[in-house]
Amino acid sequence: MTEFRTIGRSIPRPDAFDKVTGGKHYPVNVSLPGMLHAKLLRSPLPHARILSIDTSEAERLPGVRAVLVPDEVPRIPLTPVYFTPVQSPTMVQDFVVMSRQVRWAGQPVAAVAADTPEIAEQALELIAVEYEELPTVFDPEEAMAEGAPQLHEHAPGNIAKHEVFSMGDLEQGFAEADHVFEGVYQTQRVHTCYMEPRVCVVDSDTDGRLTVWSSMQHAFGLREKLAFALGIPESRVNVVKPRYIGGGFGGKLDMGFIEPIAALLSRKTGRPVRAEQSRGEDFITTARHPIKVYLRTGVKKDGTFTARHIKSILDAGAHATHGSEVIMVHGLFGTLFPWKCPNQTWEGFAVYTNNMIGGGYRGYGAPQGCFAVESQNDEICEALGLDPIEFRLRNTWREGDPHPAIEGHTLNTYRLEDCLRQGAERIGFGERRPAASGEGTKRRGIGFACHPLWVSGCVGFPDIYEHAGAIVKLNRDATADVVTACVDLGCGQITVLTQIVAEELQLPPESVRLSYADTDIAPFDAPTHASRATYSAGLAVQAAARDARRRLLEAAGHVMGADPQTLVLEEGRVMVRGQPDSARPMAEIIARAEAPWIEVGPEGPVPTTLEEKGTIMGLACQAPPSNPSPVGAEFVEVEVDTETGEVKVLRVVYAHDVGRLLHRSGAEGQVEGGFQQGMGYALMEQMVFDEETGAHLTGDFLDYKIPTAVEMPRSIEAIFIESDEPSGPYGAKSLSEMCLIVPAAAIANAVYNATGARIRDLPITPEKVLRALGKL
Amino acid sequence: MKQLIELEINGQRQELLVEPHTSLLQCLREQAFLKGAKRGCDSGGCGCCTVLVDGRAVYSCMTLVMSVEGRSITTVEGLSGEGALDPVQQAFIDAGAVQCGYCTCGMMMAARQLLDDNPDPSEEEIRKGIAGNLCRCTGYAKIVEAIRLAASRRQGHSVGEAG
Ligand code: FES
Ligand code: FES
Repeated sequence: MTEFRTIGRSIPRPDAFDKVTGGKHYPVNVSLPGMLHAKLLRSPLPHARILSIDTSEAERLPGVRAVLVPDEVPRIPLTPVYFTPVQSPTMVQDFVVMSRQVRWAGQPVAAVAADTPEIAEQALELIAVEYEELPTVFDPEEAMAEGAPQLHEHAPGNIAKHEVFSMGDLEQGFAEADHVFEGVYQTQRVHTCYMEPRVCVVDSDTDGRLTVWSSMQHAFGLREKLAFALGIPESRVNVVKPRYIGGGFGGKLDMGFIEPIAALLSRKTGRPVRAEQSRGEDFITTARHPIKVYLRTGVKKDGTFTARHIKSILDAGAHATHGSEVIMVHGLFGTLFPWKCPNQTWEGFAVYTNNMIGGGYRGYGAPQGCFAVESQNDEICEALGLDPIEFRLRNTWREGDPHPAIEGHTLNTYRLEDCLRQGAERIGFGERRPAASGEGTKRRGIGFACHPLWVSGCVGFPDIYEHAGAIVKLNRDATADVVTACVDLGCGQITVLTQIVAEELQLPPESVRLSYADTDIAPFDAPTHASRATYSAGLAVQAAARDARRRLLEAAGHVMGADPQTLVLEEGRVMVRGQPDSARPMAEIIARAEAPWIEVGPEGPVPTTLEEKGTIMGLACQAPPSNPSPVGAEFVEVEVDTETGEVKVLRVVYAHDVGRLLHRSGAEGQVEGGFQQGMGYALMEQMVFDEETGAHLTGDFLDYKIPTAVEMPRSIEAIFIESDEPSGPYGAKSLSEMCLIVPAAAIANAVYNATGARIRDLPITPEKVLRALGKL
Repeated sequence: MKQLIELEINGQRQELLVEPHTSLLQCLREQAFLKGAKRGCDSGGCGCCTVLVDGRAVYSCMTLVMSVEGRSITTVEGLSGEGALDPVQQAFIDAGAVQCGYCTCGMMMAARQLLDDNPDPSEEEIRKGIAGNLCRCTGYAKIVEAIRLAASRRQGHSVGEAG
């Protein structure tokens, strides 16, 4: 195995020092002289037409600088999702920044910019809006039914998207089955709960060019969407990449309302405008879509799948936005491709309702799919008395199989079996007791779930940005600056990209700095999403560092009178391989390359012959070569109180084929944090809305409970399997999303093992447990 | 009506002109320009805004600045003295307890009060001690580890001094 200098070491995170001493660089801290503050007026009604808006009183309030109403906002429908083109043919373009047509309670209908946030808030109360109320529908299946209120002209039956994928012969497959299982699995609407609110500052230059600071997950996506929404060329917008943001998890993967509104208000006033959402507004800006999955599966006696029919109904809310893609990813990567079944049909609907818009959330459709499929897989094993681990292995892929989703690619590294066996052994799965065999009120159970196919990016879809780019620039003090648009949401991109450059240039990590970047100067990089950053952005940064190293060695060859091919880097020095005496400081070579056009030789100044004079820098702009699948299996032990219905997770073991472990502590952090979100999803989190008015009722952390340190299990163990993925940086592939795809199904299966209660709709609340146990 | 009040922030006396409804969080961030305390919810639900008032951890978003007139406020900026990090800060770095970091400053203030009250807390005591502070990234495992590490280092430190 190759020896690495920095890769694989848990180096201190380069951003940690700043974060423990105050955290200067969050977008929420951006402040400009003369800055105004914007607030949005939101509709209290879920479906209405605006008849009139009177802003005269608001405008008269001292300190109010501008008011914005729908008629002043360009009506340019688009998809605000960052990872596809605004007019992507696979997405639905139905999002407009402001409209007189209201489709959900919370939709912005006017905005104010004022000297202080308080004045802006006060002014909102002075705006008089007259609405004509329209009939509403909140349930997607009701919305699909005949006679339901229609939300969009372009979508009869409220169908935002309908897709069908088939393989094999379904009828034949069911005919071959010895047993057929059917179930309906329902998931709920949850929020990513990033801790830093969505915020932006937009400054319009005298010529109308915009500079934008925002807490988004993608600088280039925001540039594209914002320019399009305003009807201006992209080059008229410069988006500054935040050095880091306070969490995202997919919840900051689309342009919200605040960026275009702040931009318009800045243009109107000539002043920088800041907009920060309240927690309540954040809740209704983005959420994971609820999906109802109808699952019918045919199996042979030995557990081999013969047929599967899946129907998925996604509640898109008032606008399709992410919903038109989540439904696809859910269908293909959440249910169809992970399992080996010759005859399958998946049918998916994304349906308009008068609910809030959905968004991206770590796993992007797969947690909903995994919950359904892995719950049913467990039911099948239980009913047929099959070994659940052998059952999974029988119906999944093997290393070396053709990639089921991406033509011409192979599953080069694929260690699901190791994940399952090592995880099972660590938790003691062999000694697991039969379901519901415990005594007393507190019953323990063990369950697991796996997801046998996922992504390290998005290669394979025609429409999704996947390119990455980076610049690596060497300084005369033997340090490197890295310009990349890749945003660190907290998952550790700053750390990993630093490690990669340090490794390639054989520098200490402290000598590598991820520097300022904006869309004016950085090469395009796809968003931090789809578990792609380490793999795709990592490969680009590695290529840029290698390009810089090549130029450095060429310059060194010239300075040292050696063939660059014979030179190596070591500890900040350049030397001829195997000849430590020849070593020259890297700093000297870089300085020589940057020196004026003469060199000082023994006979005085002589013209240089160095061809590439000046700053040594490397550049890479590239597509990722493949999309290796990570795999993971999670085992949990729970304790269920059969008197109160409360479920407590005691222990978690998560095994994951990560390709190569670049930073153990960071990787463990992904597993631990992913489980926390997964446990919240499984047991407690749910956004609740008023059935009549559609108003959100769980808009703060007192009503929307997420796991605290007390509810979390005391033990979360991570097992990393290093399969050395040939296409990845140093053999690495992805990790983050899988950690949140599997927990809900694992917990549901463990609850079943403990109590015999099979709960098919999330979250598994005490009430549902008691009901399932016949105690309510 | 604005009113002039005096606070001691991180050991320095400061006069500030505040409104009756101004929260301590607002005042720290916008008037004292200390950005360590963060707003995560503004409603007492997340703990990102935690600071110490006379050594006690409070949600600064739920504290009217008028109500702490004349008292001594410690923010994360006041934790590290003379270039050296507080053991809690150092432990958060060393244990890998920082991801996005947005909860970190509030979390460390809660940890500081916990350790001041109870220099050798058990795991359960640590978990209870930070139950009012949400983190969405880490699952708390490394935060608990960091606080344990800080506790042992602080004890080692005072034993060393006594010896
Ligand atoms: S901001 Fe104070 S508790 Fe959330
Ligand atoms: S580190 Fe992100 S919220 Fe705690």
